[in-house]
Amino acid sequence: MIQTVLAAATAAAMTLAPTLSTRKRTQVPLVLALTILVVAMAAAPDARTGFALAALTAALHAVGAWRASRAGGVAMLLAAVASAVAAVGAALGRMDIAFVASITAICIRAAVVPLHVGTTELCERAPGEQVRQLASLLTLVLVHVRFVADTPLAREAAQGLFFLGAMASLLPGLASLAQRDLKGLYRMTTMMHGGYLLCAVAAAGRGHHAAALFSALTLLLAVGGFGLVVTSLEERCGSVSLEGRGGRVGAFPHLACAFAVLGAAGVGLPATAGFVADDLLLHAAWEESVVATAALIIASVSLAIATLRGYSRVFLGPPVRSVAPDLLLGERVVIVGIIAVLLLMGVVPRLIIGDVT
Amino acid sequence: MSLQDLLPYSVALTIAAPGACAVLLGLYTLLTGRTPMEQTTAGLIRLSVLASFVGAGVIAFASTGRHEVDFGAWIRIGTYEVPVVFIIDKVAISFSLLAAALTGLVARFSTTYLHKERGFLRFFVLLGLFCTGTQLVSYGGALDLMFLGWELIGISSMLFIGFFHERNEPVRSSVRAFSIYRVCDAGFLFAIVVSHELLGSTRLTALEGAAALPVMEATTLALLFLLAAIGKSAQLPFSGWLPRALEGPTPTSALFYGGVSIHLGLFLLLRIWPVMEVAPVAKGIGVAIGLATALYANAVARTCSDAKGALAHATLAQVGLILAEICAGLTTLALVHLVGHAFLRVWQYLRAPNMIHDAHRTGLAASAREEGAPGSLGRALYASGLFRLRLDERIDRAAALFVALGRTLDSADRKLRGLFTAPEVNR
Repeated sequence: MIQTVLAAATAAAMTLAPTLSTRKRTQVPLVLALTILVVAMAAAPDARTGFALAALTAALHAVGAWRASRAGGVAMLLAAVASAVAAVGAALGRMDIAFVASITAICIRAAVVPLHVGTTELCERAPGEQVRQLASLLTLVLVHVRFVADTPLAREAAQGLFFLGAMASLLPGLASLAQRDLKGLYRMTTMMHGGYLLCAVAAAGRGHHAAALFSALTLLLAVGGFGLVVTSLEERCGSVSLEGRGGRVGAFPHLACAFAVLGAAGVGLPATAGFVADDLLLHAAWEESVVATAALIIASVSLAIATLRGYSRVFLGPPVRSVAPDLLLGERVVIVGIIAVLLLMGVVPRLIIGDVT
Repeated sequence: MSLQDLLPYSVALTIAAPGACAVLLGLYTLLTGRTPMEQTTAGLIRLSVLASFVGAGVIAFASTGRHEVDFGAWIRIGTYEVPVVFIIDKVAISFSLLAAALTGLVARFSTTYLHKERGFLRFFVLLGLFCTGTQLVSYGGALDLMFLGWELIGISSMLFIGFFHERNEPVRSSVRAFSIYRVCDAGFLFAIVVSHELLGSTRLTALEGAAALPVMEATTLALLFLLAAIGKSAQLPFSGWLPRALEGPTPTSALFYGGVSIHLGLFLLLRIWPVMEVAPVAKGIGVAIGLATALYANAVARTCSDAKGALAHATLAQVGLILAEICAGLTTLALVHLVGHAFLRVWQYLRAPNMIHDAHRTGLAASAREEGAPGSLGRALYASGLFRLRLDERIDRAAALFVALGRTLDSADRKLRGLFTAPEVNR
């Protein structure tokens, strides 16, 4: 019970986070509706209700994203359709259909290659909506793990899905080394974690539920938080290139610190939820395939190097002056809150794992 | 209450105090936007390092033989468990005391050395994290816990190398060092997974079961650990990052690349010795790498024109010899060699700024130049030393292949996105 409450609270807080961290109060009714839906989804009594709420949530994300990105809006609509199919399948007692539709919705929303196009557009053009949809993705994964992860099809498909997930994380992991702007790095980070999440959700079919929850949690907190930092930085500096050195650490020390911590948490910084997620996932990986395990490790290594390279290119080097302020109070509270939860989940993972196992 | 009852508290204090202090200082600054005064920052971290040293001292007095302090499970899912268990034995105590003492000395030295330096807070926060990392590695009774400390040390090391981040060279060096760390740490990570699956647990005590493994599996496991060790200890072919790592502040060069961090790979091998012991091929490779590094470092040190560079390669030569000793089975000798070497090098690094002055004063500079002249070595050997076997260029060429692959994948992704999105996105 406490795990559900914690997951719901984290998802609700992250739904509100983009609104709280900015002074632009747009789409407030939509955000409040999403927050309520996310909590309801986490507490759904059965698969039918859970997936129906997931469909409604994804449809609201499509509305939120539409003006900024058509491709993002379409992706969310497709995810809504997939979730609706899952709800119908569950209502008819066809849990195999529900499983396939649920996996499809998760893949679209987590930007798993090759279904990533729409969601990565959200990273570029509607970063706030991207964080919100990652928040409701956590509760979708919770619904998936609770109701359809133990079906016979889930067990049979686990190895194949795991392999696909490993490849889907390896490709963006390697591509992250070649990024020339910060948005590109953020996009690849999201895609790499999407592959990780697919692996973890596949592993849930063989009982590794905790790996799935922690991967979704890391995707939300570390990658979502990273997205907030990238957005804050680009609001101050415009588009940030990774060619040459930016020297911004003097002008934005707190932004630099948040970038470093959240970026590192995404690649398994010890004592954060990311480290636990990696540990659980690699344990599950070995049971599926040695090749997939190696692919996941190589992806993580590549992304870690790319993240550090990104940090050094954006913040280090000969100092530049800026009239823009460092993190404002609202942004600071949100970022510190995210880091604190990441640390808490990393140090006391049993808060989330508990009886989910 | 006997001294032995204090062991769990002492272990907790030794490991957690510096890290907790550093995290609190960091969060306070991030949340309030205010930087604490130098005296407060240095005082708190020094106090926590002192607490860590006292804790290590109590452990040394209280323990006889080998103890296991179990704090339960960090993660437990069915049969899968990551235990919070610490092992207290002579190897752990030696390394823990060494690390705490040297960190304390360097913290004291740095309070004056870095007075009014920008990044004073950053330095001490990182030092606290480093101290917790070293103690975790020292006492960690499970591979996962050791890896946690191992990573903390790697991250703090990388941030220290890039401490003077206004200049390009330290930043490039820190990225290079971190990249090599990360590649080699993949070996450690893989070894953890393999240990769990083959031996049923990641507890160090479970490694004794390696004797029952088929030779192939034991050798693979040992080679994975060896990969992690040679990366952290800058052995061939990963030696190139060490001289570049000296771009950081002198006190951290002393602590990391003279004292503690550079010996961490060797400590890991001492810890997982039951696995190495049953893998003769891995031991042979370890001896060969250690001796080759010693020869290489010796040749390079003779061609170095800077004091710190020469010192770095002298360190590397000794670390190579200790690696060879460990892999040859001389573990006690290696431990004594390691501790003595660490203290000597920290002292030499801290004195490095005065070394040239002293050399001029005592006339040693002239003799040193004569000793390093090409005539005393073969021309080919001298050239190899001077160009450092072009190790960095070779590694760069290998890395370029991955970057090229990344570019191809990125280009394919842009084309795919171009099919579905507005043209301005397709840069």
